[in-house]
Amino acid sequence: MAEEEDEPGFEEEQEDGSGGVDAAGHGRRKRLFSKELRCMMYGFGDDQNPYTESVDILEDLVIEFITEMTHKAMSIGRQGRVQVEDIVFLIRKDPRKFARVKDLLTMNEELKRARKAFDEANYGS
Amino acid sequence: MADPARIKTEGSLEKGGFINEESPKTEHEPVPETSAEMSADDNKELSTQDHLKDLKTETEAAAAADDEEEGTSGQPSSKRLKVEPEKKKEKRHKVDEDEIQKMQVLVSSFSEEQLNRYEMYRRSAFPKAAIKRLIQSITGSSISQNVVIAMSGIAKVFVGEIVEEALDVCEKWGDTPPLQPKHLREAVRRLKSRDQIPNSKYKHILFH
Repeated sequence: MAEEEDEPGFEEEQEDGSGGVDAAGHGRRKRLFSKELRCMMYGFGDDQNPYTESVDILEDLVIEFITEMTHKAMSIGRQGRVQVEDIVFLIRKDPRKFARVKDLLTMNEELKRARKAFDEANYGS
Repeated sequence: MADPARIKTEGSLEKGGFINEESPKTEHEPVPETSAEMSADDNKELSTQDHLKDLKTETEAAAAADDEEEGTSGQPSSKRLKVEPEKKKEKRHKVDEDEIQKMQVLVSSFSEEQLNRYEMYRRSAFPKAAIKRLIQSITGSSISQNVVIAMSGIAKVFVGEIVEEALDVCEKWGDTPPLQPKHLREAVRRLKSRDQIPNSKYKHILFH
């Protein structure tokens, strides 16, 4: 059993340098999110030191997810552009993600307002 | 619940500072200077208690700030779906208060290891620059900040869903963490069958 799942992991790492496309995942030239993904996995319940292969798989999944969302967003609303409304529309069926996006955008507005108020107060004094 | 994990790189001191100014009901000392330079790696150096107080304050501020959201300007990026009546707003405010208090009680009773994990959970985030670069390389045109914020947030939730499902699989198969690729693949398979993973690679032809 152990040998079986070593192999796919093996293949991925070998093809990594060539950047070729393979069935298991996209051969990325460089890992974009290795550090952050490790922290994230620990935060979500994995071990403090997750396996590198697992991190790689997750990175591929995330990049694929973002790519899919981007393509979908480009095809709705204003064509060829990605706007927040499109993302919110695509996410509408998934309660967790929808609530999260709403929270984030609200918080961002708050922070922008607070920063602006602070700057104006500073400028005045 | 706001995720102050945003507060990781540049500008973080500003954000921390403003939230303190905004919310009068916090009884905790100003955010330590060093939190500005914090990244996920440096977290361990400072006392965890400080961070968590920091995180708690920000959650309170978010709730306090929530009241103001009814008066949001007509910015297209944060449309309000309905105008809530006064009563509902008060009830929601109370619910938030309760929730915050419960969270505080919970977090204060965490063990050292749980505190670490919770801190990682709140603070980890995808780097905005990399996400922006990725999306722009796909669209070929520039995108707004809000899109990057939304996309990073959704990606983090996505990772969470997979990891949680994989932990379920791992437990079900009688294995222990750390997660192995086979757990992740099974988790993805399950999520796909629930349509939680977008897949536009094959066209479903209804009548042919």
